[in-house]
Amino acid sequence: MDIGTISLVLLLGLFFLLAIGMPLGLASAILAVLVLVMKFEPALLSNPLSFGCPDWYTEANPGARCTLTGRPGAGALNILQQKIYGLLTDYVLISVPLFIFMASLLEKSGIAKDMYASLNVWLSRTRGGIAIVTSIMAVIMAAMSGIIGGEVVLLGLIALPQMLKLGYNQNLAIGTICASGSLGTMIPPSIVLIMYGLITETSIKALFTAAFLPGFMLASFFIIYIIVRTQLRPEDAPLPDPAPGEPEGSEKSILFATFLTILVAGFSSVLFLRVLFFTVTGQNADLGDTVEPIVWGTPDYVIWFAAWTGIALLLLFFAFGVARAKLAWSMGKGLVPPIVVIGVVLGSIYGGITGITEAAGMGAVAVLIIATLRGEASFELIWDSLMRTMKSTGTIIWVTIGAAALAGAYTIAGGPRFVADMIVGSEMPTMFVLLSMMFILLIMGAFMDWVGIVLLIIPVFLPIVMRLPIEEIGVFGQLEPRHLATWFGVLFCMNMQVSFLSPPFGPAAFYLKSVAPPHISLTDIFKGFLPFIGIQLVALAVLLMWPSIVTVLL
Amino acid sequence: MQETKINHKEWYVPIAFILCFGWLAWHFPFFTLDFLTPEDPSLFEQLSAQMMRNDITPNLPGLFGGYTDIVDWTALIAMPILFIIGVLTVERARMETEIWRPLDRVAVFIGRVTMVLISALTTVMIYEVFLRYVVEAPTLWANELSLWIAGFVFLCSGLYAMQQRSHIRIFILYDILPRGLQKLCDSISTLLIVVFAFFLFYGGYGEAFTKFYRWETFGTAFDPPIPATLKPAILILVAMVAIQAVINLVSDWNLEPVKHSAADDIDQDEIEALKRSVGSN
Repeated sequence: MDIGTISLVLLLGLFFLLAIGMPLGLASAILAVLVLVMKFEPALLSNPLSFGCPDWYTEANPGARCTLTGRPGAGALNILQQKIYGLLTDYVLISVPLFIFMASLLEKSGIAKDMYASLNVWLSRTRGGIAIVTSIMAVIMAAMSGIIGGEVVLLGLIALPQMLKLGYNQNLAIGTICASGSLGTMIPPSIVLIMYGLITETSIKALFTAAFLPGFMLASFFIIYIIVRTQLRPEDAPLPDPAPGEPEGSEKSILFATFLTILVAGFSSVLFLRVLFFTVTGQNADLGDTVEPIVWGTPDYVIWFAAWTGIALLLLFFAFGVARAKLAWSMGKGLVPPIVVIGVVLGSIYGGITGITEAAGMGAVAVLIIATLRGEASFELIWDSLMRTMKSTGTIIWVTIGAAALAGAYTIAGGPRFVADMIVGSEMPTMFVLLSMMFILLIMGAFMDWVGIVLLIIPVFLPIVMRLPIEEIGVFGQLEPRHLATWFGVLFCMNMQVSFLSPPFGPAAFYLKSVAPPHISLTDIFKGFLPFIGIQLVALAVLLMWPSIVTVLL
Repeated sequence: MQETKINHKEWYVPIAFILCFGWLAWHFPFFTLDFLTPEDPSLFEQLSAQMMRNDITPNLPGLFGGYTDIVDWTALIAMPILFIIGVLTVERARMETEIWRPLDRVAVFIGRVTMVLISALTTVMIYEVFLRYVVEAPTLWANELSLWIAGFVFLCSGLYAMQQRSHIRIFILYDILPRGLQKLCDSISTLLIVVFAFFLFYGGYGEAFTKFYRWETFGTAFDPPIPATLKPAILILVAMVAIQAVINLVSDWNLEPVKHSAADDIDQDEIEALKRSVGSN
């Protein structure tokens, strides 16, 4: 059968199987079998009894060769098993369960709640303070884990009651929580980007770095929107009554500076001890140009970090005073665990200490240690987190397994090439191709989980993008060909942001609904999303017009 | 909903089972040498040389005049016994589906084993990071061991997810169909899952069996038998998933239709636990 027919049947088959509610991964798996049958032994479809070429069949059809079923235990069908095996032994894939484990430990411990309290202390007298706090907290949580469902639920439990109690505009409150809570996929470490990198063989570290700036851009757009809106319409965000004994005005700024100084003192002394350890054990000896020097670990840093620690300590003892330092610490200490976790995870990745996979494992253990120090670690916490990890891993990985089998079969049949030829050959304008892809991604995002999109649609889309004339991509700035796949990954992630919120099926709304007070209906929730979807579209446009934004940090 | 108390005992049987399984995953070729002795002398030579290197207990005498020693036999006999004990004693925990039939116990017990494996995976990884960067004595085995464990975690968690009905499905059309048609849809998808398992098995058993028989290893310094164990495991687990799909079809046959949404991912028990941890009620 020719590849055009196969592709058409595959597309229709996929729609049919998904419509009847077949599990996504297994639907792709059986379609992989179908593609192989159509490619190598179409006779099997018209006459299933010819399976394995029995004698009567070869007698009736001399010359019939059952390329697929004629050789049990071998042949083209074996590609299914090989693809699955290849996927299961991919080292990077191990980071998926570990990141999920870390995220569920984080959600189930009280770290998030304390962080909220600590952030709130500093911004409680600011107009729109809680909304801003929610956004900042979402960004911090996004930098700790890469899963959206839990984040929206957690913010909905912590921040929504507070905002409603204070009389915040309901739409503002809802939109802030869901839009910021979805940032988990944009800000590294993000499981969406890990899967994208895995399936397209793009460097995951590069994807993380590239997504940083657009992610922060989106987050700051949200915060700017909140500030502008609450300044224009103060009734949307009433200020709380000042708590008795609360420090006011400039005193609070001084306290905040004190707290920052404590942080600087803490981290520089840790880094000082680290580099001292390297120097004493001689691990950072100059090995010439062949070995990368340890980041912040060469002997000259000993003095630097010692100086930083010294200055910070001097400031604390003589400029700010011990009493104030104690107060500042008690106000801000909820922020320390998240910063430590972020330091461990992102520090391991970017400090060149470990790969993504080990960083995920270290993050999980760091959260566990913090939970133990806080007296929250219990057998039940670990048990529940392990169970959640296993469930989420099972669902994500099995879609991946099915998709890997399908991708293998479709590639053998020459599918991706065929599709790319067709699109590129039709000579449509580049922008039109990109926009229609994004439109399809948005539509699919409403129906399908991101895992399915990454695994089923990206392998078809990316080859097309790779063959588009690169000079026509974007309006300002020129993207280098080697960054194309990375850029498309970030663009895809931004698309997913929009689809998380899009009515009528945006998952964020359902997550929030499950924890919101009963009087808030789904329609109310989606209404609250509208301005934030507008902001996301602006960010998407920036990414599309100025693609080199992803390469700023690369 | 009844709050199920989580018991430390839930860990013992899975851990013991993993120990036996792990021992066999390392020592199984001794049985091959004893009972399915390869005809080909070079293969025999290669396998026995490899196993002499890998023998953890080289000084124990073989039983019944073969290569297999007492520990191998204990593991071989204990493993199915532990499996049966585990399957019979496993209990429904909170956050798990309430559909609970005797046959579902197999998948749930394998789920418990997988949970232990995930903790083992994390431990191995941290141990390696510690050794490599603090003590500066990296191990040869940790990376490959985690790869090996992870392969089984990925496979087994899919079986568990199947039993828990948490595989990703799209319900938009399905939910508006009358219950009779939904049953038809479920039957079609179950049939197709079985067909896939059949084709996978049909195409893959040759290679899987050969790799298992020849005890093909990863070809590295630590040299774990990842291909030899994981390739057959893929076939077995996919077959078990297909069986579980049939069990699910039967169990869910008389269920009332429910509306699905993205929020189904988050369990009510889990939300209660979260609420407790943030102290909102």
